[in-house]
Amino acid sequence: MNLLIASSPLALRAGIPSQMLLAQMQLAEPAHFSLLEKLLLIALVVISAALFWKRFGIVVDKILKSRKDPGFHLFPIGKRIWDFFWEVLCQAKVIRERPLPGLAHAFVFWSFLAFALVTLNHFATGLGIGFLNPAGFFGQIYFFVAAVFALLCAISIAGLFIRRFFVRPIWLARPALPGHEVSWESGVIAGLIFALMATYLASFFVADASLAARLLWWAHTLVILSFLPLVPHTKHLHLILSPLTIFLSRGGFSDIPPLSGDEDFGLVTGKDLTHLVSLQAYSCVECGRCTEHCPANNTGKILNPKEIILGIRGYLNEYGPTAEELLLGKYNSQEAAFQCTTCGACEFQCPVGIEHVPIIVGLRRGATNTGEWDNEYGGKLFNAMERNSNALGLSALERDKFIQKQALPIFDGTQEYCLWLGCMGGYDPKGREIIASFVEVMRYLGTSYGVLRKEKCTGDPARRLGNDLVFQQLAESNLETMQTQKVKKIVSICPHCVRTIQTDWKEFGAPPEIEHHSEFLARHQAQLPHNKTEEKIVYHDPCYLGRYRNIYDEPRSVITAAGTLVEPERTRERSFCCGAGGGLAFLGEESGQRVSSVRAQELVATGATTIGAACPFCNTMFRDALANEENSPRLLDIAQIAAMQLPQPDAKPQA
Amino acid sequence: MKIIVAIKQVPERDARIRIDASGKWIDLQDVEFAMNESDAYALEEALQLKEAHGGEVVVLSAGPERAGKTIREALAKGADRAIHIQSADETELAKFDALGVARLLAAAIKDEQADLILTGLQSDDLGLGQTGVILAELLGLPHATLILKIEKTETGLKVLRELEDGWFLHLELPTPAVLTIQSGNSKLRYATLMGIKKAKTKEVKVISVADLAANAPDSKPVVLLDAVKLPHKQRTTQILGGTPAEAAAALVEKLRFEVRAI
Amino acid sequence: MSSVLIFLEIKDRAISRISWEAMAAAHALGEGRGLPVDVALTASPDNPILATIHGKAPRTVYAIDNPLLHAYTSDGYTASCAQLIEHVKPAYVVFPHTYQVRDFAPRLATRFHQVLISDVTGIETHAGADPSVPPTFIRQLLQGKLNAEYHHTGSGVCFLSVQAGAFRADEPEAGATIIEPFLPQLDAAQIRVQPGEPFRASAQTVDLNSAAILVSVGRGIKEEANLPIVQELATALGAELAASRPICDNGWLPMERQVGSSGQTVAPKVYLAVGISGAIQHLVGMKGSQCIVAINKDENAPIFEVADYGIVGDLFEVVPALTAAIRKAKA
Repeated sequence: MNLLIASSPLALRAGIPSQMLLAQMQLAEPAHFSLLEKLLLIALVVISAALFWKRFGIVVDKILKSRKDPGFHLFPIGKRIWDFFWEVLCQAKVIRERPLPGLAHAFVFWSFLAFALVTLNHFATGLGIGFLNPAGFFGQIYFFVAAVFALLCAISIAGLFIRRFFVRPIWLARPALPGHEVSWESGVIAGLIFALMATYLASFFVADASLAARLLWWAHTLVILSFLPLVPHTKHLHLILSPLTIFLSRGGFSDIPPLSGDEDFGLVTGKDLTHLVSLQAYSCVECGRCTEHCPANNTGKILNPKEIILGIRGYLNEYGPTAEELLLGKYNSQEAAFQCTTCGACEFQCPVGIEHVPIIVGLRRGATNTGEWDNEYGGKLFNAMERNSNALGLSALERDKFIQKQALPIFDGTQEYCLWLGCMGGYDPKGREIIASFVEVMRYLGTSYGVLRKEKCTGDPARRLGNDLVFQQLAESNLETMQTQKVKKIVSICPHCVRTIQTDWKEFGAPPEIEHHSEFLARHQAQLPHNKTEEKIVYHDPCYLGRYRNIYDEPRSVITAAGTLVEPERTRERSFCCGAGGGLAFLGEESGQRVSSVRAQELVATGATTIGAACPFCNTMFRDALANEENSPRLLDIAQIAAMQLPQPDAKPQA
Repeated sequence: MKIIVAIKQVPERDARIRIDASGKWIDLQDVEFAMNESDAYALEEALQLKEAHGGEVVVLSAGPERAGKTIREALAKGADRAIHIQSADETELAKFDALGVARLLAAAIKDEQADLILTGLQSDDLGLGQTGVILAELLGLPHATLILKIEKTETGLKVLRELEDGWFLHLELPTPAVLTIQSGNSKLRYATLMGIKKAKTKEVKVISVADLAANAPDSKPVVLLDAVKLPHKQRTTQILGGTPAEAAAALVEKLRFEVRAI
Repeated sequence: MSSVLIFLEIKDRAISRISWEAMAAAHALGEGRGLPVDVALTASPDNPILATIHGKAPRTVYAIDNPLLHAYTSDGYTASCAQLIEHVKPAYVVFPHTYQVRDFAPRLATRFHQVLISDVTGIETHAGADPSVPPTFIRQLLQGKLNAEYHHTGSGVCFLSVQAGAFRADEPEAGATIIEPFLPQLDAAQIRVQPGEPFRASAQTVDLNSAAILVSVGRGIKEEANLPIVQELATALGAELAASRPICDNGWLPMERQVGSSGQTVAPKVYLAVGISGAIQHLVGMKGSQCIVAINKDENAPIFEVADYGIVGDLFEVVPALTAAIRKAKA
């Protein structure tokens, strides 16, 4: 502090010796306030508050008039408190996912917290009842600390201003509002914040009880009182709402809520919007982190997760939460909603706790459950799932043939594990290879397992596309089979099956325990033989295993035992989708670039000679994407990588 | 337009085929059922006509209680009401031949005065492909089969019929008429949650086979099923070996005489 | 006296092959039951086609003639055939199982309070057994997964139609045949359905769905320059050309020819997969084909799992050999 003051140009120019400076470096306040001033202050506060409430009250009203969230549980509250501490107070996600701007924002936020008492004292002083003495011991320390924050805040806000207005990252723009490439309101708010800090800091350099102090005091006051009414009109509403939004998250990742009764078909009109959806819509800060990581948006599709949320906000602003206009209408398009792969990158990135995936699935439900979604491939998919109970529309006899050929034991209640084949494991040639490899490993370990005589699709594509009728039929039928067959533990090669069985089926019953085969393999690493080579294997984190289930290290342990693990640029929580999720694998050709091609190129660019996958959908998508490439890397599931190291010689087919 | 669509609930295509104790049908244990495929297309055609020209779509089906599920599916897709000719058990309808069943259907709809009656081309189980044609004769109505498209005209209907070998034909006929619909001509709508919920309030008139047969003219079956048997050949892959010329010759033989494609 | 009456069908100005096969079935039935066989067809008595009717000589050939029958209509044919049947009073009426027969024969049978036993694949005449035991007719149920045995009861006419290829047509035999014109009484008001002219789908558009045979090419073809090899096979077979996704992605064939989950779903009579490995995205587009033939040099290619017939070999050798063999067979 001494160093700072001593080197301050102001101090040096004034020629004031450092010791005196120290004595004088305290917050200057006006001497006293006249009655007129006090009355004026009260009047201004009242006006400011009224203007604030005029808009904020409407927002609160809209949120409260929304529907109740079915399936929402406040308890257990531990995770909520932790998330609040970590994400709000520590600004962890804000900083981690965009470090420099994130840190700058964190300083601004912490400054606001630090300034709590400053501001309170400021207004108290104006009314003659100030409680913090700038000359006192506590006051000196507190105001000094606040000053440090103010400086950091001022620098940060200036930096953020430069970023927004001069660097102009595209993610901050709003494509839905042409001509709104820069947010002027953000500029105004930035200016106000800067002014707030400047007026505060300047108060250290004027004489106490001087005219300058009074002017600065009033300037500071006017800035605050102008800032307040602006908050609910802009994205700065997040100041008030986002701590609440983060605290009131749905509980899990991409938790799709149950439907609540006979009239609920999903998010069809304003009447279907719930408290959480409305709260989240009003919390959006338009940072664009969601869109930045969206695989659809990054490959030329019109889907923009930020605009989905802001579209709901726009709807609420214009029509409100009791309106009958379709949500997929003026502010959001059906086309965009159905381009989502449900990869969850958007939801994962959001620093204010918006849960995009349940909202997008909700919009899809509203279109599919009411028959509004008229899509040739979609119709075929749903009819195939109803008729053949699998997403591919293939005869169940094909699966039986595979079981016979591989001599897979049938589950009879006595084995430890039920091996779930799934649609890909049961019907896709590549998926079958993965099953065959995993079965080799289980045989080597002596694990007792069996496959169900009859499996129906878990319903994942129907669930993500919003067809609750088909999903319910499949889930209930499967749950019944599992109960009758006394299935206790399931192991599956497909993260989609794992997610759907463990989480989505809960809506209709109590599913058995289930794990992904990477978890099984990781647990048994010590008992499996390893034959490590120098080969570079690049691992692709599947969306439904990584972000959805938090499994990142287990598959990697299988790879590092076999070769040299290589990470793609976008890895772990930032893994870039293969493009198959959300039912999109079944919806035919996509517009723009193929998501699978983009990701495949990224994996190939690492120079690895093998691509390690842990999901049969990722596997099939990359296989397709690399079909026309010469010398493309081998494409192997971790089960195949593990099986390759087992003693007996096996001819594993190349990609 | 009042359109009646006759639909049938049949064993699903993947059903495991085991002959039952009577030797006259398959064992129905663990067999799941679905709407006959070409009937689904007939229903779709009817719903599209209703959407274009207004009117009512009535679904008609003969079968045991389990057929109710398929009837509700049709109501969920948009049909307005249904008539279920309910047989007492799995064997009652087997005692009727195609003419007998068609007589029951005709009796059930005799007061309906439909403008159009649609059936699927043939059923996935018995595959006779005759019910619609027989119904036309019983009701004294004109008919056409293998229809892909229906258009309403001033005088009646203009329809597109499929012929062999990639040929097609337009036909014009007056209403009321009977048409049998070929699969694959349009994309089928899917049953929605909203549709299923609405279906709960739609009327399903249940008539028993016994009641209907009592009022219909006497129909002793003229064609009787004696037994069903599994065919000798199962679908396996035959790899044709030898030199390319030999394998080619073998394949040509197969295509000519087994597949009968050339 | 009782007899077997077989109705033949004319196609492209000749009697169709399926009609000859049905006639063979009629003769088998007649011999087994000791009944003479009569033939009927809708043609004018001086139509030269009538002279081509031999094989085992029928007793009489009825030429059904009426101006209202020049274009096929269900009403016209039902009425005229009914009148002939009343005249001849056969015990059995046999048809070839064609689209046309499916259109009117059930109507005709109903008019006689009978049911058509359709798409028969076999007949057991029980020759030599007790004459009161009726013949057994075999037809398929559940899309060919079951064979069913039926018999006809009662004293009325027994109507049946015979599946293509179920019987081998007899070799032509010389023999004298009586040709008898039959002039049914028809009234224009009876004919309620007005047919147009038959037409084919436009030659411009690629309609994979209407082709009976598809020849589909995959990555095994290696280069665009090699496509003619497969094109020739398609031409020889009278088939349409199709392809898997990588071929269309490369632009070697237009997107409309793509078969698979992001292309077309087809179910032709014969699907010939040449150099296609059988990835699931392709399989879902063609699994409904009645007969799948695969040619691939990799014996482990998944396509062989779903194929009815397979040739493991180099397509550059097999395909030309196949083309030659087909041309020879058709000549």
